[in-house]
Amino acid sequence: MSELRRVDETLWEIPVTARPDMRVPARVFADAELLDAIRDDRSLEQLGNVATLPGIVGAALAMPDIHQGYGFPVGAVAAMNSSDGVVSPGGVGYDINCGVRLLALPIAANELDGRKEALVHELSRAVPAGAGKEAGLVLRSGELERVLAEGPAALVARGIGTEADVELTESRGRLAGADAAAVSERARQRARGQLGTVGSGNHFLELQRVERVFDERAAAAYGLRESQATVLIHSGSRGLGHQVCTDYVRRMDAVQARYGIELPDRQLACAPLDSPEGREYLAAMAAAANFAWANRHAIAHSVRRAIARVLGEGVAARTAQVYDVAHNVAKLESYEGHELCVHRKGATRAFPPGSPDVPAPHRDAGQAVFIPGSMGTASYVLAGEPGSVERSFGTTCHGAGRRLSRTAAKKEVSGNELRRQLEAQGITVRSPSPKGLAEEAPFAYKDVDRVVDVVEHAGLARRVAKLRPIGVVKG
Amino acid sequence: MYRWVDHTSEVELEIEAVSEREVFEEALGALGELLADDPRGHVRRRVVDVAAADRPTLLADWLGELVFLAEAESFLAERVVALQLEDARVVATLEGRTAAPRHLVKAVTYHRLALAERDGLWRARVVLDV
Repeated sequence: MSELRRVDETLWEIPVTARPDMRVPARVFADAELLDAIRDDRSLEQLGNVATLPGIVGAALAMPDIHQGYGFPVGAVAAMNSSDGVVSPGGVGYDINCGVRLLALPIAANELDGRKEALVHELSRAVPAGAGKEAGLVLRSGELERVLAEGPAALVARGIGTEADVELTESRGRLAGADAAAVSERARQRARGQLGTVGSGNHFLELQRVERVFDERAAAAYGLRESQATVLIHSGSRGLGHQVCTDYVRRMDAVQARYGIELPDRQLACAPLDSPEGREYLAAMAAAANFAWANRHAIAHSVRRAIARVLGEGVAARTAQVYDVAHNVAKLESYEGHELCVHRKGATRAFPPGSPDVPAPHRDAGQAVFIPGSMGTASYVLAGEPGSVERSFGTTCHGAGRRLSRTAAKKEVSGNELRRQLEAQGITVRSPSPKGLAEEAPFAYKDVDRVVDVVEHAGLARRVAKLRPIGVVKG
Repeated sequence: MYRWVDHTSEVELEIEAVSEREVFEEALGALGELLADDPRGHVRRRVVDVAAADRPTLLADWLGELVFLAEAESFLAERVVALQLEDARVVATLEGRTAAPRHLVKAVTYHRLALAERDGLWRARVVLDV
């Protein structure tokens, strides 16, 4: 930490000279208080480790929601030259394409009247949540292959979701180069019964009210207005992604010497992008990412069915997808004419207005980004700004960022007490696991307002709307 | 014996044991505590066979196998009936229950992975993604 110097109001840097093995500096977007929150853990050491990876360009970057992880810290961005750089499965993490999808209902939250409890209950019945094997979609022969290759588009043919949903999904829900053959049988076994399920840990569904709109023009482009009811979906690639990462970390760990790669942390195991291991991982990761987008797409379908049962078919039919973003993924992107493999681990792509990768209805506003809070706290809708391309490889933060360990959170509150506290705030809670609920208590996370302040001041993204939870379904 | 060490986002397991075999048994017990509060279900036995490049990796991959069996086969391992450790391979007969895990363990990482003997005591450390 002694090497950490302040570059400007929201940027701090560990110079490349701080460690002999660093190839580039490590930079953290934060304010003094957010930086204090990570002084005593391994976050900065882990960010320094990322800066040692072959082919990394610019700097190893961290967003203000950075916290200690394994391999990469959570909230990290690393861009590798496609010519001499590496791809690191541990860098992307186990929950490949963990991400967030936002749905906007055509009614105001206060129009739910006495039906809020019923809607949250119906959401908890319609969308399986929890660990292990669950009652997700039953896939017919060959359907998993199509989902891995095509993502949510493969489900539209079955009447699940719409083409419009696919259009309003990052990368249209389909990463190029996906190869189902690169996904192991074990990964497929873990995925069985899991498509259309939330999972557990920090994954959830949230019923919300748009508390405040900061940018009317962008909000209108996203289909959002004050007081509106929304549903936020946070989930990923489930067991399939966990196993893909497990398989390729193991495989790459075994070939480090062959490629002459020395790492400060085995979990950073990597391989050149143009090596057989690198290419196959990218093909498997893309397939897992497509599975994750299909998972959130299927969950959104179940959410609409729940809305139809409680609020009527008309409300369900007019429940529109705002957008869907990934926050654990590696993608090939072009910056100043150079093709880079951008690893985002707990970080969200945030392309600025005018970017051709932003869907046409949102292009003038910039890419929509969703920053979930933590049950009792607000979530934000942001829009990508030009500073993200200039300073952070088109990236912003992904959430509030954990502050306390799960053990510490459980010491402070029981699941049942937390449920009472949330319900006293007007938040209806459905969770089968009091322990899991307590682990995700709002105070276990940093102040999301402060995190969003930093990315706005840094010019990475700007506030569009603030969402307040009124119902939570957790695994 | 094992203990959980504070980690901001994941869980870190530390084990101390008088033998390597006991390290593997303790790891199984710790994972069982994580996966299920009060496992119920049909009792059955299962043989597992895991190989790796070295002993620390073998410990991580042993736990990885148990994570896989819990999620893919709803087999929650409860105790080791027989266990044979070779150079970098473990073959074991396990007793457990057929039940879905109550809590999720996504994976077993190689981050800060350690297994070594010192002064007659085996110490291990494994970080799990939960």
